[in-house]
Amino acid sequence: MTFGNVGRPVSRVDGPLKVTGKAQYAAEIPVANVAHAVLVTSAVGRGHLRSIDTRRAEQVPGVLHVITSGNVPPLPGAKKKTDPNDRILQVLQEDEIHYPDQPIAIVVASTLESAQEAAFLVSATYAADELHADLMPIGQDRYKPKKAGPSGDADTKRGDVEAAVNGAAVRIDQTYSTPVQNHNPMEPHALTVVWQGEDHVTLYDTSQGIFAVRKKVSALFGIPAANVRVISRFVGGGFGCKGSPWSHVGLAAIAARVAQRPVKLALTRQQMFSLVGHRPKTIQHLVLAADRKGKLLAVQHESVSETSRFDEFVEPAAVVTRMLYSCPNVRTTHRLVKLDIPTPTFMRAPGESTGTFALESAMDELAVELKLDPLQLRLENYAERDEGEDKPWSSKSLRECYEQGAARFGWSRRNATPRAMRDGCWLVGYGMATATYPARQSGSSAVAKFRRDGSLLVQAGSQDIGTGTYTIMAQIAADALGVPLETVTFELGDTIMPETPVSGGSQTASSTGSAVRLAALALREKLIATALADPQSALHGLKADAVLLSGGQLTAQGQPGKQDSLSALVARSGGSEISAQISSVEKLERAQYSLHSFGAQFVEVRVDEDTAEVRVARAVGAFAAGKILNPKTARSQFYGGMVWGIGFALEEHSVRDARSGRVVTRDLADYHVPVHADVPELVVLMVDEHDPHVNEIGAKGIGEIGITGISAAIANAVYNATGKRVRDLPITLDKLI
Amino acid sequence: MRNFDYQKPAQESEAIRSGQTTGARFIAGGTLLVDLLRLDVEQPELLVDLSALPWRQIEVAADGVRIGALVSNSDLAEHPAILAGFPALSQALLSGASPQLRNMATVGGNLLQRTRCAYFRDVAVSACNKRKAGSGCAALAGYSRMHAVLGVSDQCIALHPSDMCVALLAMDAVVHTRGPDGERSIFLADFHTLPGAHPEIESALKHGELVTHVSLPKTSFSARSAYVKARDRASYAFALASSAAAIDLDGQIIRQARVALGGVGTKPWRCMEVEQALVGRPATREVFQAAAALAMSDARTTEHNGFKVQLARRVIVRALERVGGVL
Amino acid sequence: MMRVASLFLHPSLLALGLPMNRGQPMVIAFHNELQLQESLTLEQIRAELRGLGAALILVARGAVFVFQPDDEVDIQGSNIGIRAAAVDELRVACGFAPGAPAHELSLVVLSGGGSVVARHSLLATDSRLALKGLAEALSIAGTQAIGPHPATISRREVVLASLVGAFALLTADGCRPHAPPPSGPAAPPVPINRARKITLNVNGQAHELEVEPRVSLLDALRERLGLTGSKKGCDHGQCGACTVLVAGKRVNACLTLAIMVGEAPVTTIEGLAKGERLHAMQAAFVEEDALQCGYCTPGQIMSALGLIMENRAHTDAEVREHMSGNICRCGAYPNIVSAIQKARLETVPS
Ligand SMILES: Cc1cc2nc3c(=O)[nH]c(=O)nc-3n(C[C@H](O)[C@H](O)[C@H](O)COP(=O)(O)OP(=O)(O)OC[C@H]3O[C@@H](n4cnc5c(N)ncnc54)[C@H](O)[C@@H]3O)c2cc1C
Ligand code: SF4
Ligand code: FES
Ligand code: FES
Repeated sequence: MTFGNVGRPVSRVDGPLKVTGKAQYAAEIPVANVAHAVLVTSAVGRGHLRSIDTRRAEQVPGVLHVITSGNVPPLPGAKKKTDPNDRILQVLQEDEIHYPDQPIAIVVASTLESAQEAAFLVSATYAADELHADLMPIGQDRYKPKKAGPSGDADTKRGDVEAAVNGAAVRIDQTYSTPVQNHNPMEPHALTVVWQGEDHVTLYDTSQGIFAVRKKVSALFGIPAANVRVISRFVGGGFGCKGSPWSHVGLAAIAARVAQRPVKLALTRQQMFSLVGHRPKTIQHLVLAADRKGKLLAVQHESVSETSRFDEFVEPAAVVTRMLYSCPNVRTTHRLVKLDIPTPTFMRAPGESTGTFALESAMDELAVELKLDPLQLRLENYAERDEGEDKPWSSKSLRECYEQGAARFGWSRRNATPRAMRDGCWLVGYGMATATYPARQSGSSAVAKFRRDGSLLVQAGSQDIGTGTYTIMAQIAADALGVPLETVTFELGDTIMPETPVSGGSQTASSTGSAVRLAALALREKLIATALADPQSALHGLKADAVLLSGGQLTAQGQPGKQDSLSALVARSGGSEISAQISSVEKLERAQYSLHSFGAQFVEVRVDEDTAEVRVARAVGAFAAGKILNPKTARSQFYGGMVWGIGFALEEHSVRDARSGRVVTRDLADYHVPVHADVPELVVLMVDEHDPHVNEIGAKGIGEIGITGISAAIANAVYNATGKRVRDLPITLDKLI
Repeated sequence: MRNFDYQKPAQESEAIRSGQTTGARFIAGGTLLVDLLRLDVEQPELLVDLSALPWRQIEVAADGVRIGALVSNSDLAEHPAILAGFPALSQALLSGASPQLRNMATVGGNLLQRTRCAYFRDVAVSACNKRKAGSGCAALAGYSRMHAVLGVSDQCIALHPSDMCVALLAMDAVVHTRGPDGERSIFLADFHTLPGAHPEIESALKHGELVTHVSLPKTSFSARSAYVKARDRASYAFALASSAAAIDLDGQIIRQARVALGGVGTKPWRCMEVEQALVGRPATREVFQAAAALAMSDARTTEHNGFKVQLARRVIVRALERVGGVL
Repeated sequence: MMRVASLFLHPSLLALGLPMNRGQPMVIAFHNELQLQESLTLEQIRAELRGLGAALILVARGAVFVFQPDDEVDIQGSNIGIRAAAVDELRVACGFAPGAPAHELSLVVLSGGGSVVARHSLLATDSRLALKGLAEALSIAGTQAIGPHPATISRREVVLASLVGAFALLTADGCRPHAPPPSGPAAPPVPINRARKITLNVNGQAHELEVEPRVSLLDALRERLGLTGSKKGCDHGQCGACTVLVAGKRVNACLTLAIMVGEAPVTTIEGLAKGERLHAMQAAFVEEDALQCGYCTPGQIMSALGLIMENRAHTDAEVREHMSGNICRCGAYPNIVSAIQKARLETVPS
């Protein structure tokens, strides 16, 4: 039944649109006479708005409206969360200021330039209160959240950590921290809103979760979800910050309603640092205890992270420690501190990225302490089952990842002594770490339609945030139905299509891919049944299992002369298409297993002996993530994750001014993400893995694992190069000099 | 961005006349000015576009090179006379910004580029003496990792971010100007001013005065020069500390030396104390280190930028090693 | 000004039970042959309908259907049968004579409140011409709707009412059999302050524009010329997404004032492919998977072309350094370098 499209390095089907500039993103949808909106944000970070003067702004030629809390229509749904991953929005319904750069007004004008100018002319006075915007190691009120995000309980415990630590020969007891980071997709958040009557609205948004946007807008305005259409055909990167709708979405919809005109709103890059979430700062305390041979006796991982005062997000950093290694005594905890900051959110591998930095750094410290090869230490503690969940793995090929990665990298050439490897004025260091990410799946749905012209159209709401959804779904559908890939079109990004989950948590291939496959299979069955029941068909009266479908042709098994084409079938049916829709439920057997992707990261860094500048010289990532649906687009995902790892380890840091709470590094010149010159040749090894349990298509998801482990591998390599252990990311030269 | 008028004079005299208007600003490559206009940091009434003026020549003569104010940073960096005779300048230019920006940016604009102080660039921050005289300085007790440690005052610690100017300073460049009062030639060392009590004043240029060209004298040391820049990422980042160094060697002995620093001063910083310590000594790493150790003695650091003292000394050593044949 | 209390409540419309949104403006068009087909004209109609927030109600021979701007054209579902008598009733309600002559396109624009705010008819001998006529009529409607003094107009109701004047003119023209359709770019419906007329030469085509001096080249391309291939990632020269070639050199369009470009030729991503045939660099980007979300991609490609024309970066390391002005947050860097090295052979520096 498989015709070899899945698993083939097919070029991205949306590539030609993207390389010609024809792919239209949210701010580029042609809308005649669209008005432009610009947000005005608060200068202070805590307190309340005392007055706001819009007179000068209103006088700017072209300005249509300046909307403030004084004249905004009331939105009863503003304070409600539509689901746990939804965020509480600030849509001008109050004068309270909860964080710096909170929206205080929205200017609508007939040109972008007028709106921008007027936004600067809105002046406000505030009653400012003292604020706290930095997570501290001590002295702040910590509380225990109900859950550690979607990943489980806030705290877990197995065995007796204290006793084991006290009795252990070797101990590591250290604190690690990861900074505030901002997603900064290249496309700033933007949307165009068109009201189509009093209670119908279309939003052309850039979103990783169009159905969440629909739900939110429906709740905000008190209109049925069916009246809200969200379209998001191309998304210029998301990484988590486009996973739930933020305040600007509601504000743009309000603006369009007030202006009685379509409105386009794009955030500025500076606003992206405050209005669309961030990765919260974490402070993680790790205790590792082992015997002389390196067997872990106890692990304790306590993570504290920041959240806003009015909403909650937990960075589940310690969750990874529950399952990564075999160890009888493990305790993990998550605590939160409320600060005067906007609400943090998911950012590429939330929890696993931050958590593996701490855990895998600590493992390296333990290896140093034991004078053991870090890779050997990991093998010594290899988990044959998930001891946290007490379940077998659905599949695990980490050992193969270690082996293949180490061989390709040349790990055996490593000199364990710091500062021992050199190249001119560069100190050379090798480091490694384990990567892992859960194989998630959510319910999803899809529809497959075979059309009279011989083409297959498959639709699922979904989103393609650059991960290759358009491409792999077409591949999956082509193989399931048995038609050539060229005849398949996959459409997404529209809430009138079947409902799908958010494109986050590396679950789109798994969730929507399964739905697409099932829909195509259901269509196949239906088409065959239609032929068998059709007196005009050469196959009339045959049994379903006596019919083959390939290349769009139905053939009776063993009787090549007896044929019917799918397009003829549709034509005879009198309609324009025959379709089948499916809602896929999670594979039941998933519950019996622990489902994770694994990988191994190997990195060589160079540290300038004098200036202490750190550059990654090369990196090898070996990953086992079930079936690789398309090695070409998959490799890109892994590359992307590893590039993020470089930024995570060496560059990214959103700094807040201690007094005002405002982000000081508020643009791409001050908030550094990797540029071309930072990224050396990267090697990605995709380790073969067959997993019959994980889902319909055997794929585990690949979007996030690439960023896990790598920041620790880099930090470990920096230690190997310099003898300095940096436990507080990013590793900038001032921490080494 | 506020609205403004626009003129594109074809003649210098016309440009000078237009430039006299209050609220007038010259614009060349626009990479600084448009950036600041969009941030609302600058609000001119009139932009006087210099791009029609005939200042795009690089003229090479026996006594040096004369560079028109509109020569792009790319063209200057790639010019054979600069590559051969003033390598530090070429390297400094190529280490700055991005290829696109260097294509746009001009020599005149680069000379007059303004600080990247994040508080200066965020108009929601009210305290910035440079933006509004007398309003205070948010950076002093704020986040100042990128700020200056030399030439600072209680009113302003903003860094001068230019790479090009550091190299020009080490090469004894002269800035030539023309204004309503005629022509002037100003040593680069005197061109930028210290913030003192008036951080809003950044150079010796008067309102409406044009930079017409920059001249580089032929010296015994310029050809043996290098620029070293330490930064947070491998490219497209401003300097944390940088150094332009040039020496004239008599065998192994240093006859003359020039050492300038970037990334640490409120203006491009020349290190005479280092230069003096080098003259007459052999070009060895030890000598370089001993000389570099004299730099930065006047540094006034903050909680966040203390590392620049060490870093600056080390980039000096590195730059000297490049030119001294040690590396 | 013509105001029918509420056409929404007209029995002939109600009787059809059309799936209409409460309070949505609508365009009711009568034409016997008109069929919606994917084309540039339809894209224009979609844009105009979005601009008006309106649905198109198409009354063709024996059938009516409702088209929302983002509907697929082949939706048969909403096709509702209609008797000839009902069509006539509806025509009359909209102010047209019953029994339309063959090839006549008649249309009314209704405000959200149900008032007729514009009315127009013209002859269009086939569906394609009818579509064009529809697009043009809607374009005028939309532009007029914005009015000369947008600051004083806030309600669509009032706005659409002002259409009547414009349409009265049109109608007079349209009644003549071969009246040329209104053509030329409509004057920008925006207040222009200290604006100048400029000509931008983009991808070999001259565009006359009236812009304020503060308008960037990037916003001129994206917001005025509909050339949205050049992206805005930061608007401050810090990301490279807006990279275009001006006079053959790569520059950041966000920091370039449109007025300063003068006659210099501008090349954008839209100017590279020859019809369906991709430029070698574009093809290499697809082949090497040098893109993910695609947002940085036009900038990367334009920058890569600039790099090759500069003819200085050759090794991978040099390419990386000289492409560092183009940030790719998706991290497609390794593949971008491969694509550039691959396309270099086919892209001759000029
Ligand atoms: C993202 C980014 C990164 C950057 N990175 C670096 C870097 O790493 N290193 C570095 O050194 N620089 C860097 N720069 C700064 C860049 O070098 C300057 O913006 C550029 O040199 C300014 O030149 P311009 O011609 O574009 O100036 P413009 O913006 O046109 O003008 C700048 C100023 O100079 C005045 N001016 C221009 N020409 C004259 C003249 N002839 N006479 C009198 N006044 C004049 C203008 O009035 C204006 O005040 C960066 C800039 C950006 C945007
Ligand atoms: S350092 Fe200077 S530019 Fe920065 S805030 Fe202080 S006064 Fe302003
Ligand atoms: S948009 Fe121009 S450089 Fe980012
Ligand atoms: S492809 Fe997404 S930013 Fe480059």
